[in-house]
Amino acid sequence: MIGNVPFVVCMVLVLLGLAALLFRRNLIKVVIGLKIIENGVNLYLVATGYVQGGVVPIWTYAPPDAAMVLPTPQALTLTSIVIGLATTALMLAFAVVIHRHKGSLDGRKVVELSG
Amino acid sequence: MNLALHAPILAIAVPLLGGFALPLWAKFGRPLRDLWLLLVSAATASLVGLVAFQVYTGGIQVYTLGAAWPTDTLAPGGFPIRIVLAVDALGALVGLIATLAALVGFAYAARYLAEEEGKTLALTLGTLLWAGMLGMAFTGDLFNLFVFFEVTSIAACGLIGYRTWTSRGPEAAFKTMVLYTVGGLFVLLAIALLYGEYGALNLAHLARLLRGSTVDRVTLALLLGGLLMKVGAVPVHMWAPDAYGEAPAQGVILLVANTQVSLYALFRILFTLYGGLADPGIGWLVVAMGTLTLLVASLMAVVQMDLGRLIAFGAVSQIGYMLLGVGVGLTVLASRPAYGLLALQGGIFHMLNDALAIGLLFLAVGAVEKAAGGRNLGALGGLGHDLKWTAAFFFLGALALAGIPPLNGFASKLMIYQGSFLLSPILSALAILASILLLAVFVRAFQGAFLGPRMLQPEPVPSSMLLAMGALALGVLVLGLFPDLVVRHVVAPAADALWTGREVYLRAVFGR
Amino acid sequence: MTLFTGYGFWNPLLWLAGAAGVTLLGLLFWSRGRRDYRRGEGELPFLSGESVPGAHVGGGHLYWGFVEGLRPYVERLRGAHTGLVNDYVGWLVVILAVVFLIVLVGG
Repeated sequence: MIGNVPFVVCMVLVLLGLAALLFRRNLIKVVIGLKIIENGVNLYLVATGYVQGGVVPIWTYAPPDAAMVLPTPQALTLTSIVIGLATTALMLAFAVVIHRHKGSLDGRKVVELSG
Repeated sequence: MNLALHAPILAIAVPLLGGFALPLWAKFGRPLRDLWLLLVSAATASLVGLVAFQVYTGGIQVYTLGAAWPTDTLAPGGFPIRIVLAVDALGALVGLIATLAALVGFAYAARYLAEEEGKTLALTLGTLLWAGMLGMAFTGDLFNLFVFFEVTSIAACGLIGYRTWTSRGPEAAFKTMVLYTVGGLFVLLAIALLYGEYGALNLAHLARLLRGSTVDRVTLALLLGGLLMKVGAVPVHMWAPDAYGEAPAQGVILLVANTQVSLYALFRILFTLYGGLADPGIGWLVVAMGTLTLLVASLMAVVQMDLGRLIAFGAVSQIGYMLLGVGVGLTVLASRPAYGLLALQGGIFHMLNDALAIGLLFLAVGAVEKAAGGRNLGALGGLGHDLKWTAAFFFLGALALAGIPPLNGFASKLMIYQGSFLLSPILSALAILASILLLAVFVRAFQGAFLGPRMLQPEPVPSSMLLAMGALALGVLVLGLFPDLVVRHVVAPAADALWTGREVYLRAVFGR
Repeated sequence: MTLFTGYGFWNPLLWLAGAAGVTLLGLLFWSRGRRDYRRGEGELPFLSGESVPGAHVGGGHLYWGFVEGLRPYVERLRGAHTGLVNDYVGWLVVILAVVFLIVLVGG
């Protein structure tokens, strides 16, 4: 039961982020919502690879009979974090440009493209 | 080094590294940059051509990264843990579409983009988008699918919004990026769930493991949600008219190719990964989304006054035809009647036709915008007097998309109509209705912009832009005049890869 | 050269031959007409309205009735394209919910 807590936390984070995406009008807060979803997913990835009492998956320094946590999800998470950094930077850059043009970050005012 | 064996990975690596090197060469001089782009493009195009030739003549090509020999897909324990590229006929076809779009886009960009308006960066982003599309088309690994999904997302949004001195470009790019990222995170969550359940990321290996449990179904829903967004199906298409309307023309043609590649990823997931479950409900969902897409998008196109946004809605409606055709095939996958294969072939043939025709239209719109200085349909008029070739190309592309014989759109739409008619007559009736609406839309756009008395003094369109449009127009004519040859030799193998190719794909990856 | 679709066939070359035949027929009719007519001579046939030099039916006016007839349906669709990024994500969530319903309940 207690082992499932990380997964529950991940899903709560994803839902929180979605709520921010749906109900926050400020473009920066939209980006923050995206980051929260992303952190939830990354946390989930790391949590799937955890082994009870496992050690760091480095072969050279591991004790002979110790269980290791799975290395693959950690590699995946690292990749995902790097991708997340790129997307966040790009989105924030666009938000800055939008603010320069419109003088506002309110999503309701950034509706030049509609209909 | 055996080039033929290593071609799939080189086709991804060459444009990826070549694209990043482009700004460096630009520091030493623009001719050097252009020469480098030419070299990278030629090398990548020949590599993709080589891969496609091998796949079409010799079957699925598998490449394993980090193995002693490229075909050793299984690690010593007999477990497919290594990253695998697997190219079948459909992947090769989609790779060719992406390559065609990139080459035409670069040729067009030579005179379309001004140096002081970030030409180097636009070309770099285009090359990276090309690399990402090839990666999505060639990969046989779910996590790499996600990585290349994000590579294409970032490069595409950069292309949409790099013109920061306009207010509309960054706005479209921001909205598109938010949707792409949410969709990508759904895909990543699905991959994490699958990894937690089965401990595998290899697509073929997972396809053998899936048993239709609740986790599998949740995963399917998440993957479907993310990928339907990326292909721009109604009602998650909202980013598409913004993005297509505001990106520069040489970028739009790459964005269109990007949706085709995303469609390929969707089909790969539905037919190969989940093909063993064969749930007709999913097929009906794809059919319903396709029909909704083609209807809503063509209705929206009717009232648009901005030429770019009008064509953009036309482009979204074409996605509906592809979803409809392939969805019919997916719905009847269990019993495999002949009309299912027909609709599937029509859908895949339409991917090729759409890339040519809608690309031609977007390039023509870009030429109009550059020559006349605007694209509001109310203000344009009489451009056909001066821009004769552009007008002819626009007309050709519009007729092809509306499905007027003897052009290529007619042949593929005929196949989709017949296939969907046998599943349910109402589907083909709605599809034909949308085609009629589209014809009205395009006639209106053509008449408004090109016919009538001379109202503006447009600048002449540079010849390299005309050449790029001419290449696409030639493709439209050739595919229109010889549809049977194309269907038999190019489309049928690609359709078979989905229709009956699942076991072949799995055996090719596992080697048994 | 023929694309068979199971219940029909499509041959563009045959179609082009037919189109050429129709064109020839048109040319035949045209050649039977009066040869002494010069453009701009005499009265122009009256169609409707008044002739305004330089008039152009722009893209906004062509198919006016057709577009007006569709407008009640289209306006509702246009109303859905709000341009708000939150609504875009909302539609994505709606689609995800529909897909979940079909996949989990329908399957």
